[in-house]
Formats: sequence, structure tokens, C-alpha cells
Amino acid sequence: MSFWERFEKMDRRWVYLMVAITVIIPFLIPMRFPISVSPEARKFYETVDNLPDSSVVMLVFDYYPSTIAECEPMAIAGARHLFKKHCKIITLSNIPYGGPSMAESVTRDVAEEFGKVYGVDFVNLGYKYGYVSVLKGMGVSIESIFPTDNRGTPLSELPMMDSIINYEQVDFIFEVADNATADYWISIVNAGYGVPMGVGCTAVMAPKFYAFFGAGQIVGLLGGMKGAAEYEILINRREKAFRGMDVQSLVHFLIIGLVIMGNIGYFITKTGKRKIIV
Amino acid sequence: MSGIEIFQTWIIAFFTLALFSFLYKDNPFYKLAENIFAGLTTGYQVGLIWDTVIIQKLWNPITQYQAWWKFYFGSYGDWWLIVPGILGFLMFSRFFRDYSWLSRTPLAVVMGVTSGVFLTTQIHGLVLPQMQSTMLALWSNQGLVASLLAVVTIVGVISTLIYFYFSHEHVGALGVTAKVGIWFIMISFGAHFGYTVMGRVSLLIGRVQFLIEDWLGSFTHIF
Repeated sequence: MSFWERFEKMDRRWVYLMVAITVIIPFLIPMRFPISVSPEARKFYETVDNLPDSSVVMLVFDYYPSTIAECEPMAIAGARHLFKKHCKIITLSNIPYGGPSMAESVTRDVAEEFGKVYGVDFVNLGYKYGYVSVLKGMGVSIESIFPTDNRGTPLSELPMMDSIINYEQVDFIFEVADNATADYWISIVNAGYGVPMGVGCTAVMAPKFYAFFGAGQIVGLLGGMKGAAEYEILINRREKAFRGMDVQSLVHFLIIGLVIMGNIGYFITKTGKRKIIV
Repeated sequence: MSGIEIFQTWIIAFFTLALFSFLYKDNPFYKLAENIFAGLTTGYQVGLIWDTVIIQKLWNPITQYQAWWKFYFGSYGDWWLIVPGILGFLMFSRFFRDYSWLSRTPLAVVMGVTSGVFLTTQIHGLVLPQMQSTMLALWSNQGLVASLLAVVTIVGVISTLIYFYFSHEHVGALGVTAKVGIWFIMISFGAHFGYTVMGRVSLLIGRVQFLIEDWLGSFTHIF
């Protein structure tokens, strides 16, 4: 059996092992591959950076815990940038599993860094079932949809919410999503109420959202861990996503190598088989 | 790191490794993790819907305003919420063959409302802006690259739409345009696949990052 035949019949578990080794090595020996910032991420950053101080921003945690690796660094970087600009942050989630608690832990941790106070500088509205009615309802009154915050405190008792009635008082929406809820934020809130928004999404979703960026429906786009790393570079806090990009690049090299070798093997063994048949 | 945080980290690490063990072969640890996950999410979902929908959006508005009593004393409160409540309850009639026809009424309401909401939002929010963004000037004062991109966009949109035009055989000029459309679709699939690989690798990186930084890090707190 030739090398290529053995390669073609290789047990898939060897591929898993190769990927595992490739993932672990850069954590032990950092390689610092260069990362360029895309125009979509830069535009996102610049739009947030150009918001007047004390603007009201909705930071939306529409992702499940399964995509924390991609989405959480975006949310953390976004929260840092917004608090640095003294923006008032409203967090909420259309995701039942973990969304509100991730919003709680991320904003409270980042708020501590910047000395921000709950109820004055940021509020976590939590989760409500039925995202279409939630998004449409907040256009009339946020309080009618979320009478209380995530911990059950009535919104009327939170000073920050005194002057925030509906989307008219919201200056920007920072949506972090791993599912179709981002589409509804665009089609219902951005198109219906004209609130500018940027989307940070998983890599799987990113190609679709380039169309929204191209059409000017969103001001910026962060695609997957790469997008999160770009935002970390832009706010000058290189953390989890940035560290993960070394691994990302190395695994991509491995996958490209395996795809090329697989194709070479396929064509060589196919030619051999043809010869036998002839 | 407190004791409870270490305990949490070890639980997470155990389930991560149990699920990864499937990559070698199916085993009892994987089965255990899979079943616990399925049970937990189902229980959590039921509890969440009960609290955020039944209690917060139905029971509380009715009882907090004491609608039953106010009804008798001349105030109507939020009593009308009983109507959607009954409609929702009728959905359960699907479990009984003789009464399953009752579920058609709430389904009809859901379909009507959804169609109404989605038709307007999809057309106004997605279809029209996307169409508008493809209506580009082929020659703009933004330079040659912008003009070339406009041509690529227009050719891509038209040829892809023609590929999905099935009322005429794809021969002649129509066939050539449809073939160009296939190329655009294939390039789009390639971009999607590339991003999907990147996304899946990111998830693996997240888990390994947790195992190396958090779980192995917790050893220093224990020993």
C-alpha cells in the first residue's frame, strides 16, 4: 500500500490528535502572528468612538454559552469601550440559556474596572420570551416589556431608566449574536426605528452579515474570534480573542495542508485505479 | 479562587472532557454528559417559560391588579389576558385525538399575527434595503475599483437570480448566465465553509483555553 493510499484510509482520530496538538502548542509557546484590522471592524470601532459621552447604548447578549469563545470577547471589549466613553449601557438578551447571566457577569466585572454603578451607569433587563414581540414592544415602551430588571427590581426604581422610555432615547445598538435574532434587530429595530447598530457575530454567520454591512444597514461587523481580536486591538486591550488567534492561524495551516494532501492523494490514487481498470 | 469556584471549574472540565471523549469512541462518560445536558436544558426551558410567560405575562397582570375582584366591582383591569391564555391552553388539545381540532384556532391566530408582522418587517427591513444596495451606478467617481465592484455585484445578483428561474430550460444565453450564477453561488459556499471552519476551530480554542488556563490553573489553588 502506497503512502497516499494509507493517507486516504487514515483513521480520522489521527486528524483529531493533530488538531489537538496544534491547538495546545501555541498556548504553551506564543507565536504572535500578525493580525490586521478589517475595515468593517474599524468602522464599528469608530462609530462607537464617535458617540457623544453619556450616550445610551443597548449591549445585546444574544448568544448561547456554547459560543462564548467567539462572542464573549466581543461583548467584553464592547463593554470596556462603552464604559470608557461613559456611555449608559442597557443589556438584555433574547436567549433563554445563559444570556441574562452572561450579561450580568460581563457588565458587572467590566463596570468594576471603570467604577461604574448599577442602576446609574448600566442596567441589565434580562430575558423575555418571544423576541419579535419584545423588539417591537420596546419601540413603544421598554418598561411595558421589562417591568423589572434581571433581578426583579422595578425599572422605576433605577435612576438611569428615568429618562429612557423607548428606542428614541437609544443612540446605538451593539448586538453580539450567534443566531438569527441579529436579523430581527436589523429588520425590526434598525429599519423600523432607525437606531444605528453594529453586529458582532459568530464566524458561521459573518458572510451573511457582509450583505447588511454593504447595504449600510449595520455600521460595522465583527466576524468570529478574528473580529473580537480586532476589536481588542482597537481598544488596546489584547486578551482572550487575541491570544486565541495564534491557535486559529496554526490550525488553519494544518487544515489547508490536509485539504491539499487529501486532494493530491485523491488524484494520484484515482489515476492509479484508472490504470488498473484499463 | 474560592472553593465553590474551583468546584465549578472541575465540573465544567469534567463535562468538557466527557464530551470530547466521543472523538475517540462512544462511551458511558459521553452518554452521561449528553443525558444530563438534555435533561437540564429541558427542565430549565420549562421553568423559564413558566416564570417569564405564564407567571410574569399572564398570571401576574391578572392577579396583581385583582382583575377578578375588580371585574365584580366595576374595574376591568387586565382581564382580557384570559383570552390569549385560553388560546394558549387550547394548543394542548392536540394531545387528545377527539379534541385536537380545537388547536386550529390558536394556530390560526399565531399564523395570522406572524404573517402580518413578518411580511412588513421582512420587506421593509430586509428585501427593499438589499435591493436598493444592488442598484448601483456602474461608473462612479469613487474610482475604478468601486466601479468594478459594482459590476461584479450586479452580474452576481442577476446571474444568481436567473439560476433560480426554473420556468424555462437553461439553454442559450439563459444557460450561460445561469452557469455564471452557479460560480457565484459556489464562491459564496466556499466563503461560508471557510468561515464555518474558523467558527468551529474557535469553539475548540475556547474549550482548550478553559482547560489550560482555568482548569489547570485551579491546580495551583488546590496543591
